[in-house]
Amino acid sequence: MTTTQTSPAPARARLSEWWQRRWVRIAAVVLVALIALGAPLNLTQYAVYQVTMMAAFAVAVLGLNIIMGYGGQVSLGQAAFLGLGAYVSAYGVTHGWNIVLVFVAACLVPAVVGWLIALAAARLRGLAIAMVTITLPIVGIPLARRFDEVTGGSGGLTVSFMQAPEWTGLATDQWRYYVVLAVTVAFFLLARNFLRGRMGRALAIVRDNESVALAMGVSPYRYKVLAFTVSALYGGCAGFLYLVGVQYVSPETLSFATSINILAAMVIGGSASILGSLLGGVYYVLVPFVAGQVNPSRAAMYSGIILLVILFVLPGGLTSLPRALRRLRRRRDDGPGTRSTAAAGPADDGGTQAEASSQTERQQR
Amino acid sequence: MERFVQLAVDGLATGSIYALLALAIVLVHRATGLINFAQGSMAVFSTYVAFAFVQSGLPVWLAIVCAVVGSFVFGAFVERVVIRRFEGGSHDVAVVVTVGLFVLLAGLSGTIWSYNHREFPSLFPLESVSVGGAHVGLRNLGTIVVTILVMGLLQLLFLKTKLGLALRAVSGAPTSAALSGIPVGRMLMIGWGLAAALGAVGGALVAPKLFLTPSMLDFVLVYALAAAILGGLDSPVGAVVAAWFIGVAENLAGGYIPFIGDDLKIAVPMALMFLILVIRPQGLFGRKQVVRV
Amino acid sequence: MRQHAVRILAIAGAATLALSACGRDSGGGGGDGDGGEVEASPGITDEEITFGITTPLSGPTAGPGTCTVAGVTAYMERRNEEGGIEFGDGQTRTVQIRSYDDAYDPSRAVSNFRQMINDGVFGDILSLGTPTNLAVMPLANEQEVPQVFLTTGASQFSEDPEANPYTMGLVPTYKGEGEAFGALLAEAGEPITVAVLAQNDDFGEDYVEGLEAGIDGSDVEIVARATYEPADTSIDAQVTDLADSDADVFFNANSQHNLAVQSLLQAQQLGWTPRVFLPSNTSSVSDVLEPGSADAFPGVYTTQSAKDPNDPEFADDEEVVQFQEDMEQYASNITTTFVPHCAWSYAAGAALEDAFTRMEQPTRESFMEAVRSIEDLDAPMLLDGVTINTTEPGVPPISDVEVTEFNGEKYEITDGY
Repeated sequence: MTTTQTSPAPARARLSEWWQRRWVRIAAVVLVALIALGAPLNLTQYAVYQVTMMAAFAVAVLGLNIIMGYGGQVSLGQAAFLGLGAYVSAYGVTHGWNIVLVFVAACLVPAVVGWLIALAAARLRGLAIAMVTITLPIVGIPLARRFDEVTGGSGGLTVSFMQAPEWTGLATDQWRYYVVLAVTVAFFLLARNFLRGRMGRALAIVRDNESVALAMGVSPYRYKVLAFTVSALYGGCAGFLYLVGVQYVSPETLSFATSINILAAMVIGGSASILGSLLGGVYYVLVPFVAGQVNPSRAAMYSGIILLVILFVLPGGLTSLPRALRRLRRRRDDGPGTRSTAAAGPADDGGTQAEASSQTERQQR
Repeated sequence: MERFVQLAVDGLATGSIYALLALAIVLVHRATGLINFAQGSMAVFSTYVAFAFVQSGLPVWLAIVCAVVGSFVFGAFVERVVIRRFEGGSHDVAVVVTVGLFVLLAGLSGTIWSYNHREFPSLFPLESVSVGGAHVGLRNLGTIVVTILVMGLLQLLFLKTKLGLALRAVSGAPTSAALSGIPVGRMLMIGWGLAAALGAVGGALVAPKLFLTPSMLDFVLVYALAAAILGGLDSPVGAVVAAWFIGVAENLAGGYIPFIGDDLKIAVPMALMFLILVIRPQGLFGRKQVVRV
Repeated sequence: MRQHAVRILAIAGAATLALSACGRDSGGGGGDGDGGEVEASPGITDEEITFGITTPLSGPTAGPGTCTVAGVTAYMERRNEEGGIEFGDGQTRTVQIRSYDDAYDPSRAVSNFRQMINDGVFGDILSLGTPTNLAVMPLANEQEVPQVFLTTGASQFSEDPEANPYTMGLVPTYKGEGEAFGALLAEAGEPITVAVLAQNDDFGEDYVEGLEAGIDGSDVEIVARATYEPADTSIDAQVTDLADSDADVFFNANSQHNLAVQSLLQAQQLGWTPRVFLPSNTSSVSDVLEPGSADAFPGVYTTQSAKDPNDPEFADDEEVVQFQEDMEQYASNITTTFVPHCAWSYAAGAALEDAFTRMEQPTRESFMEAVRSIEDLDAPMLLDGVTINTTEPGVPPISDVEVTEFNGEKYEITDGY
């Protein structure tokens, strides 16, 4: 990124040069880790709870990203896997299972369900998978009500678990935060390895062009099944974390509206992005809070407005902010004569320009 | 036998409610390649506008006509101002934009007209007729008939008119369409406008039965989506047949299979849909997708 | 390189020092101090007391939800304008109400409740919904925060004050209403067949349980049952099945106005005209009976505890006139249409005022003591003869239900089946 201009450039060049240095990146990670670890000791109970829930939903959004953002399939049933994970956890906790067993079950049961569904559905064309996933919350809610000895029926299940052990000296909400943080970090790291490795690359090929994938010996079917199973597993884990925070589960947890909100959070945070999933989790929890502060009676309307404003300004999601800023600066630098080909301005004649630019955006990632 | 016919006819009526919204979804998808999650909210908002006209003294039919015309303009406006920006890009983003629109419009309706149920007058009287031993309300019958009419009109539009051809061209091959001189932007606006107008008709038709409230079509939307997808997402006939199928299958399952009962009856059409899609992935009436490598 | 490691450590050290400098303050003062001055609970000062309501303000249940806020706001704002309420400890305070939208989602209700505590409210009142309040209940009792006058007829909130001392319902339980009607049928002393349509959740289940308790041991028999989901578009199929039984009574445990109307119309169309029972939430003359052409049925019953301002009988009733005025003046930005929850919320305002006047200390414990000792309060907007009484454990504050019958124009106390 060399430039022949002298005065405005050096400051900016210096900043991005700094970022290239390894020790700066490590310091940043250490700083973030310290903040994450020190936070519950300095924040109010409510703030700690909010951050805990952000982490739980970030895992759910990451799961959705794996099948949708990276895998290119549409899934509208993530809430069903979250709910299933929460119900399994609640069942295990009320029956006195070892907490590790509860966690494993909460992850595996939805994963198995997801795997079975994917086995049948992965052969279907894009939107048929969407339809299959729509049915999950639709059928899940009456099922949860029907099997009330296991699920508590309409009244749901109240649990009380994950109290802070004596030896830590922590308050319960702080302890829960650390547990959720640990699980979230672990799952995010796992996903990062999975997605940056061979699996991730195979998924990307399958997403972009299935016939090419086949020709290269990568089985689209197998990778779609894999992605869907992993996505369901993450959903189940998120369900466990959800239960840690909320300590209650009911059929409402499985609703279609929750699935849609998780989808919106994923897009707002940034599709096919690990950081984007984290931001999605933050968005999911923060927006009702912010909208409620403006006006509680009109909170729903304001959350719709916030969503639209964010996407208008950043169609690539929040993670595209640095990219968008860079583009803005470049346009200012280049002066009025040049037209940046990466601009995604509204075109009067349909979306051809936007189409081209979005393709280059994808490759840039 | 009587019971069977009654359940089936009631199922057709319920299915027609899903079908009207499914047709609007199909129209938008056919014209712009997007799934509009805000279709239900837009229809409800249009119906509230009609309600406002009725309250100010207009006769019902006139109020509905005004609302339909207004909705066409509104739909075109939404496409140009809100959706246009996202059309060439990622579908996921466009879908979430429609979700935002959904929430915004529902909240707006609630703010202006409150969340309580409002009674909306029907075009049809409250009587019923006997059809094969079953009692069918005239209002239900009216809904079924209008559904068939609209389905026919849409099918005609796409297959036999120049406008329909232009709409299909714009969504299928935008660059070629633009190069052939078709005003792409205007076509997109017309597509959304028509869908919104259709939604207004549907909303006004079902509001007497469902009662007007901002979330009136929230659950209908889910079934309408399922029906549209099952029908192949591009076929008006497919969407209507699929919607009727959902309505009838769920009623018959609930009525005749004791294990399923009323609460799980929705699972039956869903499970059957799944099977159908496995056997025929392009949906009942969809076209097989051919992708250029 | 060692240089870099040193730099990283330096930054880390500085950050740790900075973070450890602030500690978090332990939760605000609450509970009694020993001897002398009693420390006030959060949310109450010498000038004002603040309550929070977490309730659906958007979505399908937002109609009743907004009313739970509107009624008490109207009541309290008028008192505030007149200078406030004199509490039992001698201070005159104004009452602030804060509302939070939970869209009937239990996880948002929990979040709102925690936010309320963080925002420093004194207590949670009038929240609507069963799963939402169930999710909050353990938290409220653990934190010793009042969770009272909840707008839900589920029995869990009032039935065990030992286990949940800080929680209390408000409105008659669904079971209680069902039982009242069942008892009415049983008293008739003749064999009666009943077809039951119940919402598939705690609302419907409780109504049916109550009905069954009421008819236990009599000649009344349930011959057909059907359920539906609150989200259902149409219940014509269920009504068709029930009509097949040709039962004498149609027990309709329905909380959805549109579906209630549908069921009435469908029954008529099928030629089935039994006597009908509707729950108190869903029996309004203007919203349900008229659109449903209820005069086609030989008898429509419901249970009532609140006055309906749209009922011409109460057009000159003092309380109703005052209620309409207050709602117009102070709550018209919240809602302009009426459902019974507005009346219950308004009546709860009076109950709160009564508790305040007997509250001797500015603490939550003192408040709960006062709340649990309301005796036969004749609250405005409740039917004559219906009072608020919290001294009986295990029943909600409003527990009298009158079974009333529609006489073509309005409801009146029934003579019997």
